[in-house]
Amino acid sequence: MSDNGADTLRPADKLRPFEPKIIGFLCRWCSYPGADLAGTSRIKYPPNLLPIRVMCSGRVSAEMVLRTFRAGADGVLVMGCHIGDCHYSSGNHRTAKRIPLLRNLLGYVGINPDRLRLAWVSAAEALRFVQVTTEFVEEIRELGPLSQEVTG
Amino acid sequence: MTPRGTNQQMPVSTPVGESESMIEAIRQVVAERLNDLDGVVALRKAAAGVAPHLFRQGDDADGYIRLSELEIVPRYPLMTVVSKLHKTFPDVRLGVVARGCDERAYVEMAKREQIDPDRLTIIGFACTAEEAQGCYCAAPYPQQLAVGTPPPPGPANPLVAEYDAISPLPGLGEGSGVRAAISPLPGLGERSGVRAAISPLPGLGEGSGVRAAMSLDERRVFWKRQFVKCIKCYGCRNICPECFCEACAMEDAAWVEPGVLAPPFPVFHLIRAMHMASRCVACRQCELTCPAHIPLTVLYDLMRRDMETLLGYVPGADIAVQPPLSLTLTDAPLSPRPPFLPPPWGGAGGGEGSGVRAVRASAGH
Repeated sequence: MSDNGADTLRPADKLRPFEPKIIGFLCRWCSYPGADLAGTSRIKYPPNLLPIRVMCSGRVSAEMVLRTFRAGADGVLVMGCHIGDCHYSSGNHRTAKRIPLLRNLLGYVGINPDRLRLAWVSAAEALRFVQVTTEFVEEIRELGPLSQEVTG
Repeated sequence: MTPRGTNQQMPVSTPVGESESMIEAIRQVVAERLNDLDGVVALRKAAAGVAPHLFRQGDDADGYIRLSELEIVPRYPLMTVVSKLHKTFPDVRLGVVARGCDERAYVEMAKREQIDPDRLTIIGFACTAEEAQGCYCAAPYPQQLAVGTPPPPGPANPLVAEYDAISPLPGLGEGSGVRAAISPLPGLGERSGVRAAISPLPGLGEGSGVRAAMSLDERRVFWKRQFVKCIKCYGCRNICPECFCEACAMEDAAWVEPGVLAPPFPVFHLIRAMHMASRCVACRQCELTCPAHIPLTVLYDLMRRDMETLLGYVPGADIAVQPPLSLTLTDAPLSPRPPFLPPPWGGAGGGEGSGVRAVRASAGH
């Protein structure tokens, strides 16, 4: 809970405003190039997102998401090709089923499911990538650090 | 120590006459089926309780009638034994004395090639009404019913019902005393203890007819108190008929830090809950086995329900339906309906693909 969680933070951190730490799992064929396009187009997006390139959003297992939360991420953003555009034709179909289930499970044990988000971003949608990321970071900023929920 | 499976939580006391005649009928059916089967797997009286046994034709040639020692209580994951026999002896044709949960376990195992359906005959019998109640069992009898009459289904697990209760009333959030209402002691074991740990809300007693859903904070406090009791014995996995992976994610140091006790939250138990979503047949062996009395099946029941609402999949119901998580959206589409009523955290949506939908909707403005 929040009271215990605060104790685990170092004193210096208490003085600093909370900056969410977001891990993004970006598919190699659509979303990562999309993020790349945002960069090469000089469109700013929040530095809170640490992108990790995966071969397919379907590769992002529940284990990976849970470990990411365990390791201290405040939010996890999974991005893949739009349905129908998957390089492996149906890899993201699995993501589309897995992530909602995992969101529900997180809710059942008291972790806000909004900390996990799935979004489809194509290689051309740099603006969309920026918008989704910005929105998500702001949402997590409002929710506060996950360490309060998990380690407390 | 009580023998495993005869856990005091399981009401196994049935009227003697009824259960005796039931066993006698099953023994008769088994004796008949043994004529054309290589063997029948069932429980048999042993020195300390019961043990799984392979009854075979000609066993009794030495004059010792083993079939008279066939037992049906307590429940036991016999399909695990069948699976081992099927894999070791690729030609053997078996029968098995099975309850409803055993049959469902068989269905899911057959889909995943752990049991050969062509080489297995189910000799199904119905559970008693008391057993159905104790297990909160929705289907306490097999589809291939040979002995007994179907009892009425058991009630829903009250802990699962907590999740269906109305959303928290305004003013019952943080600091309103709701958290203080949670028993300071972790629910130590018995179901009653677990109930006591979360049921009392101020002014919303049993009699009022109003129950508030657990808030996210309450859920987290509740589950962390449960999970912290875990001694990481892997008993839940070992007893589970559906846990047959050669490499277990819960033993993989990449996902579960080794040497951490209680096992790390939220990793250990949630991995299992995710894996159970399309497999759990609600036999409740894990919960009966758990030495820490963690109400594991509450999570699994909720996941099962999501599978049904989201993907229309009921594990163990139909051997012809493939598990949907590995199918495409064309073959196993997601339901557009939200899986449950508005979530108590009041977020943009806790439902199906809501992450996707919320983002799509927002892309417009």
